[in-house]
Amino acid sequence: MTLWRQIKNTLFTALCSGSVLFLAATLMIFLLPMLWKGSKAVFFRKTVEFDKMQKELFKRGHAEDLERRTAQTNQARQEALALLEHFSRGIDTALLSREVRSAYQQLGRHLRYLEVSDDEYARLREQAKDIRDAFLQALETTDKAEAESLLDTVDAQQTNPRFQNSPFEVVFSLSKQYRQILQEIDLSRRPEYAAELDIVKTEMRNLFGPLPGESIPPLPQDRFGATRWDVAQRHLQYLIYQTKWVPSGKDDKRLIPKQIRRDDPEEGIFGKTELAPLFSMVEQNLAAMLQPRPTIYWRYFLDDSTAGHYFGGVGPEVLGTLLLTVLSMCFAVPLGVLSAAYLVEYAAGGITTRIIRTCINTLAGVPSIVYGLFGLAFFVLLAGNPSILSASMTLALLVLPVIIRASEEAIRAVPQSYKEASLALGAGKFRTFLTVTLPAAGPGILTGIILSLSRAAGETAPILFAGAVALGPIPDIGLHLKWLFQPTRALSYGCYDITVGDRLAMQVPHNQFGMVMTLILLVLLLNLAAVLLRWRMSKKLQGL
Amino acid sequence: MTTAGSQSDAAVQFTRPLRLTFRDDLSSTLLSWLVKSFLFVVTFCSVAAVLLIFVFVIRQAAPFFAESRVSPLERLTEFFTSRRWFPEHQAHPEYGILAIIAGSFYVTITSLLIAVPTGLLAAVFLSDIASFRTRQICKPLIEILAAIPSVAYGVFAVMVVAPWLQKNIGFPTGTNALNASLILSVMAMPTIISVAEDALSAVGREIREASYALGATRAETMLRIVIPAAHSGILAAVILGMMRAVGETMVVWMASGNATQIPSPWWDLSQSVRTMTATIAGELGEVPQGTTHFHSLFAIGLVLLIFTFCLNLLSEHFIMQMKKPKR
Repeated sequence: MTLWRQIKNTLFTALCSGSVLFLAATLMIFLLPMLWKGSKAVFFRKTVEFDKMQKELFKRGHAEDLERRTAQTNQARQEALALLEHFSRGIDTALLSREVRSAYQQLGRHLRYLEVSDDEYARLREQAKDIRDAFLQALETTDKAEAESLLDTVDAQQTNPRFQNSPFEVVFSLSKQYRQILQEIDLSRRPEYAAELDIVKTEMRNLFGPLPGESIPPLPQDRFGATRWDVAQRHLQYLIYQTKWVPSGKDDKRLIPKQIRRDDPEEGIFGKTELAPLFSMVEQNLAAMLQPRPTIYWRYFLDDSTAGHYFGGVGPEVLGTLLLTVLSMCFAVPLGVLSAAYLVEYAAGGITTRIIRTCINTLAGVPSIVYGLFGLAFFVLLAGNPSILSASMTLALLVLPVIIRASEEAIRAVPQSYKEASLALGAGKFRTFLTVTLPAAGPGILTGIILSLSRAAGETAPILFAGAVALGPIPDIGLHLKWLFQPTRALSYGCYDITVGDRLAMQVPHNQFGMVMTLILLVLLLNLAAVLLRWRMSKKLQGL
Repeated sequence: MTTAGSQSDAAVQFTRPLRLTFRDDLSSTLLSWLVKSFLFVVTFCSVAAVLLIFVFVIRQAAPFFAESRVSPLERLTEFFTSRRWFPEHQAHPEYGILAIIAGSFYVTITSLLIAVPTGLLAAVFLSDIASFRTRQICKPLIEILAAIPSVAYGVFAVMVVAPWLQKNIGFPTGTNALNASLILSVMAMPTIISVAEDALSAVGREIREASYALGATRAETMLRIVIPAAHSGILAAVILGMMRAVGETMVVWMASGNATQIPSPWWDLSQSVRTMTATIAGELGEVPQGTTHFHSLFAIGLVLLIFTFCLNLLSEHFIMQMKKPKR
């Protein structure tokens, strides 16, 4: 019996300690991955593309150094890109046919320039047209023998002196090229090749930016290759491996995905083609092609972001959050501290005080989304449009009870003897409060203010409709105070938007986690400051 | 100023009889009255804020019930008994929030089922088992847990927990009632712990000592004596935790999946639900102002507000009971 009671007691103690350990573990499970993944927004290996992006979008970096590195990497990439271009000519018949057509047109112009007779002109045009059509047909057919015989008819005209030294000559060299390509690829699989080649090209663009000969894309995110080494590694995997659905071993009905290399000699789609060396070439030389270097991108916390949140940092969000929180403190702190003063020094325990206290508790218990509703209904519908002012006033209401409670506690903690000494010297009640109690309670009140700053910085629901936007201009702060009436970006709303709302941001998880990390760090720093302040205060009190 | 002179001045001032003129008296009385009433007005701002919140939410919710096409009673019945929430339907919009209220209850109750036992045990640890030093370490830890913004928890739920649930447990969707409840329980725990710990500490030392003197173990003392004695404070803790969970927006919006349904075997937490807060947050940004849908969202907000207000009064009642001296 006693043993059983002992066991129960030990079990209980273990459970109690276990639950606290569970809490600590939860905190770690939450904090570590978030901070670790977020830190990748600041600490990472940048590539030469990153420097190009910084130069073009943010106007920073050494121009000469960048030029040198660009030249080096371009040289390293040259072979692979040339290979890709050569191969895509065979698959992408649109390119070849365009060239043939243009050669035909140029021939016309050439003949007019030579001033041949009209008869001769018509005859040559007719001949050239036949050649062109034969070539185009050869490009379109999927039968190898037919294509070769068509190319033979093209090549038969090669000796025609009229076509020699004319723009039409290029057709024959194209025909030679295409003949070579015909040896290498299986014509019947050309649509398949074309689809895969598109993927390869997209991944090459993702790695190295626009391919040679392409125009500069309008969207910033398409203008640069992989700016980070980890992103480059990811795209390398996409480039090299294709997913094939193969029957699983046990029952043939179910298909399972299998990763195979695109240049695999047996199964890979480009295994037996001329393109095969590209993959190992990129795989082995990727470092030379991109020149990764470790970097600390501390400007992440200050930079504006371009193209949604694709490049750049969280500067506008940090600024917006600071504006919102500081402004809300401007409203809430005087109100809160004076209310606390009244509650401690003046309020008698009557029905009025009880009502006031109930209201403060109610204010603390109102769900944050209802603050959002109220912010919309009151501040926004009254003021006209969502703005920094309405958002910060909503936040001020939200943190008011926090400040009142913290200040009340701090004021109550001031020893009675201080007040009595002041009162005995003839100071009035309010004077005593302002000159003696308030300075003595200062650190405690400051702790409360810091904690409510962190609360205000993290709240999202109240500002959803009152003045937070996902993307927008940075408020230009100045004495003209117009910025008060603009909406702003904020870290908290940004965190929501970047993880759930923003499609483009899904491609840049480091930026998603980076923003969350910024918010968590801000809140943790504020809390750390509060803890330190409290610790110093308690040491001081012990010293007294 | 010489020391001798100032001393003599001070002596002169103190020897003067302390008698105020009528004007001095009046002005100081007036001043102190002014200060007091100024402070009262400032303090009354909180009361005004609560009133304003109620007034404005009610004012925006009223048109929903007082719409001319449907009688208020019908509207009210539909609002609370229908499961069908189709406010955007062109011809026959339907405004039934039963499924939404059920969603709120699902995540709240489930999160409390996790948070209350754990929180209570942790509170016992902090109040009765931990040494002073351990407590010094644990307290900031719990404060940090409380301070982490809800949107950060939401991101964690979407980006870390949801894929994990989907991959390792095999749920069809990772954003579901269970995910939201897990995160909510973590968020409600700090509140529960701190209030419950206060309640446990408020139970007098003599009571514990009497129990130990009778030969009871710690487990028996806590479970049979201290916790029953602190029951009102613990109830307040549970209610405050519940308020936190019911009112939480970002986490449930991001993690609960937002499907307007009551899970069909009622215990199936792997299905998506939608809560009142998430409905408001998700839809208010997109509806044109002044439409019935817009006002219906304020009506949901009003339900939420009244519910939390009642819970708040209840918790206050329990806290008052706790603070009543028992010794």
